[in-house]
Amino acid sequence: MITVNLPNPMGEEHWGFWIALYFFLAGTTGGAYLLSVLFYDKDQGLVRRSALWAFLGVAVGAGLLVIDLGQPLRFLNLLLNGFHPASVMWLGSWFLVLAGAGLLWVYLRPTSRGVQQGVAVLAALVVGYTAVLLMQTAKPFWNASPLLPWLFLASAATAGGALLRLWYPHEKLSRLVIASALVEGAVLALHLIWTYPAATPGVLALLVGPLAWAFWGFVVVGWGLPLFLERRNAALAALLTLVGAFLLRYFVVMAGQV
Amino acid sequence: MPNPKDYAILFDASRCIGCKACQVACKQWNDLEAEKTENRGSYTNPPRLTAHTWISMRYYEGLRPDGDPYFDFIRGSCMHCTHAPCVVSCPTGAMAHREGGVVTVDEKTCIGCRSCVQACPYGAVHFDEARGVVHKCTMCYDRISNGDQPACVKACPTDALTFGTYQEIRALAEERVRVLKERGYARANVYGLAELGGTHVLYVLTEHPSQYDLPKAVREAEKRAATGWLSAGIAAAALGAGLKFIVERREALKGGGQ
Repeated sequence: MITVNLPNPMGEEHWGFWIALYFFLAGTTGGAYLLSVLFYDKDQGLVRRSALWAFLGVAVGAGLLVIDLGQPLRFLNLLLNGFHPASVMWLGSWFLVLAGAGLLWVYLRPTSRGVQQGVAVLAALVVGYTAVLLMQTAKPFWNASPLLPWLFLASAATAGGALLRLWYPHEKLSRLVIASALVEGAVLALHLIWTYPAATPGVLALLVGPLAWAFWGFVVVGWGLPLFLERRNAALAALLTLVGAFLLRYFVVMAGQV
Repeated sequence: MPNPKDYAILFDASRCIGCKACQVACKQWNDLEAEKTENRGSYTNPPRLTAHTWISMRYYEGLRPDGDPYFDFIRGSCMHCTHAPCVVSCPTGAMAHREGGVVTVDEKTCIGCRSCVQACPYGAVHFDEARGVVHKCTMCYDRISNGDQPACVKACPTDALTFGTYQEIRALAEERVRVLKERGYARANVYGLAELGGTHVLYVLTEHPSQYDLPKAVREAEKRAATGWLSAGIAAAALGAGLKFIVERREALKGGGQ
């Protein structure tokens, strides 16, 4: 029996730093692919390049997940040990495999728009299932409001747009990132208000407690500052947005387990 | 609703003296290692269940509004739910119902993903870092499937714990509540009849379940996930269409102005 314990660099939670990093990688790169298919399908070079990033994000993220398992060598049990569609973890594992294969295909070969849109649906499932995974738990910070999928999808659009913008400065992307960042901020505020009665310790940990550095770091450095800088220094704004997207995933994952 | 012939345990809080014989018997029979603990100002010790503590008695003391002191105990452990969130969320089928409605984990299949840990509203499933799998109360399946009682029930000196078929245990619980109400415990109630499809561990309580930190009206994991998928679907459609509308309408307006 081989067990691996990849230590959480910042805590002793069941789902911690590595899970948050996976959420960030898959969410950001998946979001970039989604945006390129939605808005830039005439630029096949960009679609294929973002498919490669998303493939790498999904592959590295899935690697982190496997290493974080208590029994990493049994990861095939996820796929080959029966049919468990009620388990979001099981569905998510299949989404990862299918989206990974689809993204690699889009990158490697010229594909039709229909194929690219089909893979985009898989990428959206990878981005979105992570929120549903958290909602299936018994943790009130994750499931007392139905807004977590909105938060993760809006954040994927913001961070994915920022990632594209680093390589592909385009005015349309700037408007897109601003719009989705505004949605993201509103959804986050609503989520905190909605979950506060059921998940008071988690919300307080974010606002004034041990997770305040991540929460306010996101609000100030990863969200407010990029909005301010968007028209002044787009590259810096994009980088800060990416930092913010990680902080968001991190404090959401941690606040559920306070 | 559990099958009338299923295995079941009754914990009668009105008969419990808080001696922890059940807690110790559980450790001994299941060969669970001792926990390093400290005095936290409560008899509840260890303060919560772990991979090596499958029963932990919780103690509640204070003054009632009328000035009477109270000292109440509850047996914290797995409730063996009929619609068990741990079973639903398990991606490999390792966590499953066995004959008689008992929920156990198959250590040879478990991958240590901790979905079940996050899903349990009773905090009864825990991850064993050394072995990379989760552990919890098995209702002493090795004993009951051979015609014996669970170790905790056998050890109880005051008949606060009773083992039998679900039909017998439920009838006994309802009879005890009737007797307690006659004796003036107006708030006496049975806990576990409605929760998660009916639990195979029933509690007779003299106070409202919230007095013992027991969750009421727990949503089933299937329903939580369904809400999540619905919300994610709406979010993806609304965000995709909304961003497309915002970005391209601006483009169309600009195009018209030229």
